[in-house]
Amino acid sequence: MHQPDKITGYLETVRQQIRWKRAQPIVLEEIENHILDQKNAYQKEGLDEEAATDKAITEMGDPVLVGEQLDHAHRPKPDWTLLALTGLMLLLGFAVQFFIDSTFDGAWTLEQQMVWAGIAVSVMLAAYFADFTVVGKYPRIVFFTLCAITVVCCFFTGTVLGRASYAIYPLLLFSTAFAGLVYSMRNKGYGGLIFCGAAFVAPAFLSMLVPSSGILFLLCISCLILLTAAVLKGWFNVRKRSALFILYIPTAVVLSMSFFFMLMGAGYRAEWLRVVFNPSLDPQGIGYMGTTVQRILSHSQFIGSGMPMDYYMVAVDASNILGARILPAINTDYLLTYLIYRFGWIALLGIIALFAAFIIRAAMLCNKQKSVLGFLTSTAIVSTFAVQLILYIASNLGFMLLSPLSLPLISYGKMALVTNMFLIGLLLSVFRTGTLVRDQAESVAVKSNHFIHYDNGRIIIDLIRPKTTE
Amino acid sequence: MAIDKSLLTGSTTMLILKLLEDTDMYGYQMIEELNRKSKNVFALKAGTLYPLLHTLEQKELVTSYEKTAGNARVRKYYSITKKGRNYLLAKKEEWKAYTSAVNAVLGGATFASA
Repeated sequence: MHQPDKITGYLETVRQQIRWKRAQPIVLEEIENHILDQKNAYQKEGLDEEAATDKAITEMGDPVLVGEQLDHAHRPKPDWTLLALTGLMLLLGFAVQFFIDSTFDGAWTLEQQMVWAGIAVSVMLAAYFADFTVVGKYPRIVFFTLCAITVVCCFFTGTVLGRASYAIYPLLLFSTAFAGLVYSMRNKGYGGLIFCGAAFVAPAFLSMLVPSSGILFLLCISCLILLTAAVLKGWFNVRKRSALFILYIPTAVVLSMSFFFMLMGAGYRAEWLRVVFNPSLDPQGIGYMGTTVQRILSHSQFIGSGMPMDYYMVAVDASNILGARILPAINTDYLLTYLIYRFGWIALLGIIALFAAFIIRAAMLCNKQKSVLGFLTSTAIVSTFAVQLILYIASNLGFMLLSPLSLPLISYGKMALVTNMFLIGLLLSVFRTGTLVRDQAESVAVKSNHFIHYDNGRIIIDLIRPKTTE
Repeated sequence: MAIDKSLLTGSTTMLILKLLEDTDMYGYQMIEELNRKSKNVFALKAGTLYPLLHTLEQKELVTSYEKTAGNARVRKYYSITKKGRNYLLAKKEEWKAYTSAVNAVLGGATFASA
């Protein structure tokens, strides 16, 4: 028997015992290295190649037994805490929609929410069992596909109040794609960093095309976090301080300039911005929503239904606020305002606690990721989630600078639900398999001479190698 | 002091953690080192070592990283964590209590130094 074939045969027997396919390559490579080390050592001691190989294999132990023990050590580990919290949020969403349906005759959202939750759960499961490393392997394809989808959504899905709202959903996925792009810039220096900055212009422009200041803000924050984390991890292989300088100075300049010009300029935008900070300047016009929300909140209690109030000649209380229609889109955009008025501030605290538990738990697992790809992908998703929450809370407290997106999994919205569940599925997939993901070294080492080799970012175990018969 | 029932199997864990206390090592190195230090008394089979190392890693007692060796072979190095150090400390105490109890039964301190 040919020498490498003996080792191959041994490894194959070990492989057959390990049920989790994704764990196989990484485990087998380590075992193979060990056998080769041992074999080399025996050869140095004076054994010939065949004897050295045999002895090295014997030293390793019974392949079936070894494989079984390795199988036992490598089982996929779903994060039950996050799964449970996800379930809890979905159920809370149902409960809230049910409550709105039952107190307000015109509502029909629960049924829709449940149907779409079913779709969302299947999408989540698909993402959960999918291989998230695709994001890092084909970053440009993913990025451009997403751009294309967003452009199509912008122009062909119609608009609501002048906004191409369907384009928001692909945009929600952008920071995850951006994570893959950052990952592909390993050791690319300042050029890599600047490339990432330039790439960010695409989703930023698309956000303005929608237009949605909320998604623009979300992507800014999320991508800044990703780039900062990558710089601090030394991913670009540049001096950290100057890289952060390059990153933050232009960002700060662009942001403050646009803000300054809006504030100082004349006309609608400047007026709008002033009203955002003080809705009572124009309670019937631009400041209507802000004023209404603040008025509702000022009549809310810590626990229990809000106090009755008089709203433009209409007597409003907790029982008829839905019917009075003083707040449009309560079950999508102003769910929290309503819940605070209906049940007290305690409802807000409860929801914040639930989300905080999810975000903190996820952030902890992010930090534990050994591969930079796993770390960046999960950070992108967690930040997307967190910023949505912050935007939603801000607008529901009457601060209308940025358009709210959704309260993930709870506020009514079909595609928002599906998109967020997809992201959660991907996040859980990172946490489930992250221990097995390795960042690619720059050099594509170990090729062709081995039956385990890298090809295009994958580890290939080629046990039936074609014999060279020329 | 309560003695862990899995003391004997657990002792392998203790030995591995002890090896990693001073320096990070890869699997092959650990077996060599253990052979040398125990004067060939502990011939740990590699097939036993790796499942154990992987389990320890999942329990966060050790962590691993990869380094490319000179011959382009990627080596997986293991490094003890803070949790691992605490665990090792506890295991050592347990082991001391166990051996001194055995020695006491077998006949005094002479056994301990024999």
